[in-house]
Amino acid sequence: MGIQFKEVSFQYPGWGKQFFEALKDISLTINDKDEFIALVGETGSGKSTLAQHMNALIFPTSGTVEINGVPITAKRNKKIKYNSIRQQIGLVFQFPEYQLFEETVEKDIMFGPKNFRVPEEEAREMAKKALNMVGLSDKYLTRNPFNLSGGEKKRVSIAGILAMNPKILILDEPTSGLDPAGKKLLMNLFKSIQKETGKTIIIITHDMDLVYEYTNRVLVLNEGMLEFDGTPDYLFHRHDIDKWHLDYPATISVLRSINDKFHYNLDIYQKTIDAAVSTIAKAVQS
Amino acid sequence: MSYIDIQNINFAYHPKRPILQNLSLSIDKGQWIAILGHNGSGKSTLAKAIIGLLEPDFGTIDIDGMTLSPTTVYEIRKKIGIVFQNPDNQFVGVTVRDDIAFGMENLGVPQAEMLEKIDFYAEKVGMKAFLDKEPAELSGGQKQRVAIAGILAMQMDAIIFDEATSMLDPTARRELMDYIRELHNEGLTIIMITHDIEEALWAQRLVIIKDGTVFRQGTREELLKEPVTFIEAGLELPVGLQISNALKQMNALSLELEEHLWESSLKK
Ligand SMILES: Nc1ncnc2c1ncn2[C@@H]1O[C@H](COP(=O)(O)OP(=O)(O)OP(=O)(O)O)[C@@H](O)[C@H]1O
Ligand SMILES: Nc1ncnc2c1ncn2[C@@H]1O[C@H](COP(=O)(O)OP(=O)(O)OP(=O)(O)O)[C@@H](O)[C@H]1O
Ligand SMILES: [Mg+2]
Ligand SMILES: [Mg+2]
Repeated sequence: MGIQFKEVSFQYPGWGKQFFEALKDISLTINDKDEFIALVGETGSGKSTLAQHMNALIFPTSGTVEINGVPITAKRNKKIKYNSIRQQIGLVFQFPEYQLFEETVEKDIMFGPKNFRVPEEEAREMAKKALNMVGLSDKYLTRNPFNLSGGEKKRVSIAGILAMNPKILILDEPTSGLDPAGKKLLMNLFKSIQKETGKTIIIITHDMDLVYEYTNRVLVLNEGMLEFDGTPDYLFHRHDIDKWHLDYPATISVLRSINDKFHYNLDIYQKTIDAAVSTIAKAVQS
Repeated sequence: MSYIDIQNINFAYHPKRPILQNLSLSIDKGQWIAILGHNGSGKSTLAKAIIGLLEPDFGTIDIDGMTLSPTTVYEIRKKIGIVFQNPDNQFVGVTVRDDIAFGMENLGVPQAEMLEKIDFYAEKVGMKAFLDKEPAELSGGQKQRVAIAGILAMQMDAIIFDEATSMLDPTARRELMDYIRELHNEGLTIIMITHDIEEALWAQRLVIIKDGTVFRQGTREELLKEPVTFIEAGLELPVGLQISNALKQMNALSLELEEHLWESSLKK
């Protein structure tokens, strides 16, 4: 089970029959348990396109995406229940505006559960709970989702997918637009969901600090090709990541600059600020 | 007199829910300020008030010596532009080219000059190969770059960037910030709304908004010395300074190390 990409390519139809190849020959296996994956890469490298293949929102031009055992190919198959796939694999869009559509926040978050036959009252409870989990109070239930601030919209769109309780959670830039406290709250929420339920979580992000601190596997896309698949430690030990438009996490950069300046020999590969602090403290005190 | 002078404005979308409250802020010509603040604190609302998309219920906004009003708003929008938080709000044209042209058309820029500028600014943001595409066919970060190019091309006195670079990759962001700094050195006044402290530190002055009003403002150096201010406003210090402060509390911070952490955190 999980998601398997088998030699997947995808072309967007463009102007005057000029096709644009957004994904090129991708092969990849994602387990449905115990993974916390970061999907990273240059602007326009194909991350959102790849994510939309994972819940059958778009179909490969060639190759197969197997989602929990169901093969998705270029041809639509009447026997496949695409809706059920979209319930199993929850995808939060990059722009919340593409996801919100009801007239109140409550209805919007309830839509998913109701659509999948959860009774009204239960769906209402789930909506409230999901809203609180993303750091918004009950006051927001009656608000129109289109009249919220950018970060509030983002939170509501995430709550909508959380309330569906999918088996795998994919979040396209979940922290863009969030304030620092919200970013921490949500990343810790994803982490605890991952720990407690074992569900696989995939985030698309440009924030290397998050990649390093929270995830255990990184996929790097470059011009539609999968060019790296490995642990964050392995990635950040490389010296050529700028060719993928990536950067080093701040902890690594700060520790590296201290080594350079003071000729220390600190282990720079620290995932959290706390770990970086104790690494320095130990060196200073000895 | 400041270039932008906001005096004691109040604003509410709903009478029962005040958003901006007694907010005052002055920005000098040629200054670069960063606005930070929690989600829903009123940053985008303030930005819309400055360009006259929303009318304060109370208080006044003066820009370049003119008081903002229905009669001056069109004159003022030739001086100050905004890149919206959601780039889709910026798009009206069929192609990327149309969208970059749109603002210039409103300013009455002659055709030949406009074509030149479209190429120049598309190149600057790395979108020249996309000029004939539809905006809907772009990735998130590509949309943001096009929105930015359209406003830069208008060559105004001042630009408000409302989380305009939130979806750029680290390399694209650095390149863009370097270019914005060039424009700033040539005199552009910049108001940058952001949640990213690293991005904010490119500015000379930080303004922290909390619950619809200015909570604290000052130079970067002043404010960074007040970790409590950041905590109270729900913000975060740059990682280098968080490390510095933690080491200090443990009595494990030498003067040289402290100096190094500050210098490297502030260097942009
Ligand atoms: N509907 C579309 N029609 C044609 N081309 C498209 C369409 N959507 C995306 N593209 C192109 O496909 C490529 C990949 O886009 P995608 O949105 O997957 O990138 P991304 O990695 O998510 O980028 P970002 O980090 O900027 O969001 C881009 O070059 C983009 O211009
Ligand atoms: N059109 C609207 N109608 C009613 N209320 C609104 C509207 N737009 C925003 N608000 C509310 O006004 C407050 C301030 O919103 P604003 O968009 O200015 O926040 P912000 O500081 O830009 O937040 P963010 O960091 O999330 O973008 C929020 O609580 C929001 O819910
Ligand atoms: Mg994307
Ligand atoms: Mg905003």
